Amino acid sequence: MSALGDIPIHVEPSAEKSVGREFGVGLGAILSELATLLEALRSTGEEGAIDLRSLPLGPNDLDRLRRLLGSGEVDIRIDANGESRIRETAVSGLWWTEHRNAAGEPLAVLIEVARVPNILLTADDDLARGAVRLRTVASAQFSAPGETPHGTT
Amino acid sequence: MARPDTELTIGELLDRNGVSRRSFIKYCTAMASLLALPPLAARAMAAQLRAARRPSVIYLSFQECTGCLESLTRSFAPTVENLIFNVISLDYDDTLMAAAGAQAEQARAQAMEANYGKYLLVVDGAVPTADGGVYHCAAGRSGLDILSECAKGAAAIVAVGTCASFGGLPFADPNPTGARAISSLVPGKPVVNVSGCPPIPEVIAGTLLQYVTTGRVPDLDEHLRPTVFYGNSIHDRCYRRPFYDRGEFAKTFDDEGARNGWCLYELGCKGPTTYNACATLKWNNAVSFPIQSGHPCLGCAEPDFWDRGSFYSPIPTARWGKAGEVSPAQAGTLAGVAALAGAAIGAGSVVLARKRINRNKRTKSHDSEKGNEE
Repeated sequence: MSALGDIPIHVEPSAEKSVGREFGVGLGAILSELATLLEALRSTGEEGAIDLRSLPLGPNDLDRLRRLLGSGEVDIRIDANGESRIRETAVSGLWWTEHRNAAGEPLAVLIEVARVPNILLTADDDLARGAVRLRTVASAQFSAPGETPHGTT
Repeated sequence: MARPDTELTIGELLDRNGVSRRSFIKYCTAMASLLALPPLAARAMAAQLRAARRPSVIYLSFQECTGCLESLTRSFAPTVENLIFNVISLDYDDTLMAAAGAQAEQARAQAMEANYGKYLLVVDGAVPTADGGVYHCAAGRSGLDILSECAKGAAAIVAVGTCASFGGLPFADPNPTGARAISSLVPGKPVVNVSGCPPIPEVIAGTLLQYVTTGRVPDLDEHLRPTVFYGNSIHDRCYRRPFYDRGEFAKTFDDEGARNGWCLYELGCKGPTTYNACATLKWNNAVSFPIQSGHPCLGCAEPDFWDRGSFYSPIPTARWGKAGEVSPAQAGTLAGVAALAGAAIGAGSVVLARKRINRNKRTKSHDSEKGNEE
């Protein structure tokens, strides 16, 4: 045998055909919960989320759900000890969020129901640290005698 | 002068190591998912964890195959290095630590003295008690002796794996070494059983993380297992459940039913009587679990799983009664129905599972008091 590709493969009919729409937990239930969460966001501003990894989903259910929700305009990549990807779905207010660790392995997959996912917002502590950092950079940059941020005197 | 690590909160340690807020929120989101908390609980969890201090952990191994520790080292969330460096202070583990011999034993003694009454004791393996415990000796002492000494000053004990939880393979008939479960040997101490052969890596790590986050032993079922991971049967959460409900079963490993992914009940699947998180957390970073790979559940997270007959025989009707918390008469009726039309028993076992969870809630406080009266 020279290569794996030389092994003939007979493809069995897809199991999905006999399973139909009831495979796994039922995507209808997820869509219904999303609709409730979206209504809560609209009426009270309360954010929500569904953790997709905690549900007993079948092998193809995640892909199917993703196709159902479609793609929106926003696609955000976060580099924080591994990549995170936050994609707006075709339904405004629903964000498909995937967190990965530094090795690229998936940590969490969820649908967030929010105007902007919380992880994107800058925290107060980070703002304070940012201000200190900026002052440090500025003072190092313009520390030469006679030099100011507005030019040389 | 910089404060020692043991005095720093986890948040201070993270800041010192340059771990950003977003990295930590992301980590907590994964943890909340693992602990079956609502996704938004990650924010509260992050705040609690940042304020906590890392507990000292002593890890002991007795009659075991090291599979449990191997499993823990393959935890993806949290990773074992994250757990060891950021969440706990692993002060003794004779397999993982660099020190050996007298140095290692000294490290254990120092950690126990410095953290008396506060450290977490993690144990894998059963402990042989026959003939004075001579069937397990380390550093010139019996396992029984070492366990007794370490248990005294422990705030809580986590028994990792089915051997530590219920005796496991060493306990199997005829049990020549007199192997016993940890909970039966440490009277008065709170014990958490994390069963499985081995347990799911994320379940071991998650149980430790939950203790650090909340500072207390989690809610437990009647076998002293955290309900967050062991609250549902494999069967209740199995993606093949609709086939069971319709009475569609694989009869052999290579028939049409097996190829179509039908229920493996008739091939001996122990999912209906096994409580674990395999069907949701899965294995190898959620890639698959035995049933998804076409093999019946062996029931490895339950007591006496080695002595319950063939792994490939369907569960006897009487067993349903034992695990499903119903009378043998009810179980017999339900199992009989299953062979004809799975729908009835499908609905029935969901009800039974709910009953069991409710009963656990009611008896939880009693269980935690009873703890080790085995």
